[in-house]
Amino acid sequence: MGPGRLTRLSQMPNNFESVELGVAAEDEVSLLEIVDHVLNAGVVIHGSLVISLAGVDLVYLGLNVVLTSVETALRKIQTSEEKQGLK
Amino acid sequence: MSCVLAYCGFQQDDSASLPATGVNGAQVEVLALDALLLLWSHVEWPFAPAAIQKNAVEFHGVVQHIFRQRAVIPFRLLSVFDNQEALETFTHDNQERFLADLVRLKAFVQMECVVYPAPALRAQPDEVSGKDYLEQKAGLVRSIAQAVNAVRDSVGHLSHDVRVREARSGSRVFVLVERGREHDFREALKQVAVPEQLARRISGPWPATEFLSEWVKAPQIAGAQ
Repeated sequence: MGPGRLTRLSQMPNNFESVELGVAAEDEVSLLEIVDHVLNAGVVIHGSLVISLAGVDLVYLGLNVVLTSVETALRKIQTSEEKQGLK
Repeated sequence: MSCVLAYCGFQQDDSASLPATGVNGAQVEVLALDALLLLWSHVEWPFAPAAIQKNAVEFHGVVQHIFRQRAVIPFRLLSVFDNQEALETFTHDNQERFLADLVRLKAFVQMECVVYPAPALRAQPDEVSGKDYLEQKAGLVRSIAQAVNAVRDSVGHLSHDVRVREARSGSRVFVLVERGREHDFREALKQVAVPEQLARRISGPWPATEFLSEWVKAPQIAGAQ
């Protein structure tokens, strides 16, 4: 079975907004929190690749750092893949 | 290129309502292996970068649909399986561990509290001397540590487990709380004053991802490095 893959986020727009997900006001979470959770919380099906994102707290660093983090992670992944002969 | 995007796993239950569509309007499929169900979709890969926010919300929507009803183990958005066979192999290999975590965390949700320096009070390094900056920073670190302890104490009667993770900008406290006691969690935290130089953000309920076993968080996959 092949490894999991990552996609590039370099053109991710920066208009993060609040998203209403439930009926109560306290259920309102920011899109940034959602992005943080769907990227950073849960099962990683290719540990060595995606886990490099896991140590970064995306939500509270701001969007520019989010993009930088992802780009940095992608560069590391690319280097790692080249070293491992995955590409 | 078409790939298989896995959303989440959960315990089989005939009463569970399933979401109709997933990321990019893809049909949500169900993989059943004994007591474990996995939701997945065929998706075009990679995602368009400009659509990643929309994809994230759609992915979250699928996971939330199940999480509102029961405990789930979510996958992460940006990893996919090559095909359905790969997903089935993965599920077969990890079924017991997934089910063990689902049973262990069945009655719980994850609440989060982040404590961080108040944005308005963050010192700018070029506005103060190096010594003052370091002293301010050390003071902030102490304040955050005290605030984290106060959070832990205030929700101690509700928490079945607590994890604290340091972030560059503060500390994140993850608390395992019985489903249905989320409001009690928020009320308990309201009783805790936030120091002037700090800010706090509470969120949840989330799936109890911080409390998954290490193997389930990052399963070993045959053939992967």
